Amino acid sequence: MAEPFLKVQGVSKIFGGLAAVNDVSFEMEAGQILGLIGPNGAGKTTLFNVISGYYTPSHGKVFFKGRDVSGKPPYALAALGIGRTFQVVKPFGGLSVLENIIIASFLKHPRRHHAEEAAWGVLEFTGLADRAHIPAASLTLAGRKRLEIGKALALEPSFLLLDEVVAGLNPTETDRTIEVILKLKSQGMTLLVVEHIMRVIMGISDRLLVLNFGQMIAEGSPAEVAANPSVIQAYLGEDHE
Amino acid sequence: MTPLLKDRRLIVAIIVFLVFLCIPAVVHDTFALRMCTEAFMWIGLAVTLDVMAGYTGYLNFGHQAFFGIGAYTTALLMMKAHWPFPLAVAAGGVVASVAALVIGIPTLRLRGSYFAIAVWALARAIQQFALIATFTGGPDGTRLTAFLDPQFFFYVMLGIVGASFFCLWFLLERAPFGLKLKAIREDQESAKALGLNPTRLKIQAFIISAIPTALIGGVFAYWVTFIDPGSTLSDLISDQAIVMVVFGGMGTLIGPVIGAILIFSFKTLFWAYLSQYEVLYIIILGAVIAGSVVFMPDGVLGKFIRKAVRRSPKPESLPPPATAGKEA
Repeated sequence: MAEPFLKVQGVSKIFGGLAAVNDVSFEMEAGQILGLIGPNGAGKTTLFNVISGYYTPSHGKVFFKGRDVSGKPPYALAALGIGRTFQVVKPFGGLSVLENIIIASFLKHPRRHHAEEAAWGVLEFTGLADRAHIPAASLTLAGRKRLEIGKALALEPSFLLLDEVVAGLNPTETDRTIEVILKLKSQGMTLLVVEHIMRVIMGISDRLLVLNFGQMIAEGSPAEVAANPSVIQAYLGEDHE
Repeated sequence: MTPLLKDRRLIVAIIVFLVFLCIPAVVHDTFALRMCTEAFMWIGLAVTLDVMAGYTGYLNFGHQAFFGIGAYTTALLMMKAHWPFPLAVAAGGVVASVAALVIGIPTLRLRGSYFAIAVWALARAIQQFALIATFTGGPDGTRLTAFLDPQFFFYVMLGIVGASFFCLWFLLERAPFGLKLKAIREDQESAKALGLNPTRLKIQAFIISAIPTALIGGVFAYWVTFIDPGSTLSDLISDQAIVMVVFGGMGTLIGPVIGAILIFSFKTLFWAYLSQYEVLYIIILGAVIAGSVVFMPDGVLGKFIRKAVRRSPKPESLPPPATAGKEA
């Protein structure tokens, strides 16, 4: 049998005695959208940072396409095809939107004019082409969130990790971002999506993973997860009747 | 991107370089030629400092170490090993690049302000070493065989500074390297996610900034014929270069050139006509810097020149950046 696309094996991340992520294991198939949900402080972003190389797991291993990538630095993972966005958007504020994307395009296109060509493609795809020459710092929040996706896409990754790219957007902007995510999926991209907004995550995910206090409390299709008593308890608390 | 030979900035730079090249044909006054040579030197020091300060976001308070290493390497090789001048200068560049690698590996993992403190201390240590070591001549310094030809040094300094400027311009403004450095300056964590190895890029930038600095130091040593730790390894060198960079405009190559020319002219005129008010010089310089940081953080270049250029073609009206404009 072929190796799973992503395999997270018993991963824990301990900060000063407190396990932000505690013994989490799951697998992903290529071409899937896996939604990662959980209440605030459940460890979603920590798990995200472990998978994308920002944290070294305290225990456990992460395999990407059969390769042990635990503890590899983010830039090495980017070269292997893992792109990520940041929940707190991190544009290169002083540089233009186009330059922001070009920097990411250098990974696959080391020559400047090739990178620029590729970057224009990404700008068209994300709908930022008309703002290519303004400083990234003057984009609206929606624009910056889209720039985050654009920068990750310019790496031409096979695996994309999206950390709350919809949070804070109005319904129209939300729908546009969902459209982008589904379009990527239809092109064969594998995505791991962290999102708070249930309408979004239930609608786009093939599978869901629920974290609470660093532990995985449920996994399955959106319908299964929504009916799971421990998930309801995690979100609504006990004695909710 | 415009093709290299059609790039207007390159054409302007070449014209300015040719004008400089013609100065000795018109100006025969030795003092004036010396001042021009020193001005080129400061342009070189400011521009190389800006590779780290402006492009990468790392203020190097120990820049003089590379200048001094170049000066001492050249002086010692010429006097003790009887190397010819060009080879000795080149050797200074090699030694400085090794020094940059050795200093950079531990210090460039640090954040900006810690880096500034670390390199400042290391540069002071290097100065102390030159003071106590015997092969450097200690506090008595090292004397070189005098070669008194102002025109020769004018051309050599201009040549080295001009060539360094061109190489840096190509690397930082046209090649991907410059944009990658700016990405690190803007947000190192985000740069990592985009496949950039910040430590490696910063060390490369550090070496690229060190080599021309050492070459300039080597030429300086042969030019002034006497070097000591107090002159070539003094932190005043970095301080003045930083002032020039900040005043001219950080993060560009032309800003430091403008800053170097303005500050150096001010210094020269001040010493020429107002030398009895010596104390005032540092005070005025300090006030100018404090003022320029507060009132024109982008330097003379950003404040006046860029604005004038931008006034003509107005970009499509944009919503004013709410809070974001300031942080950039």
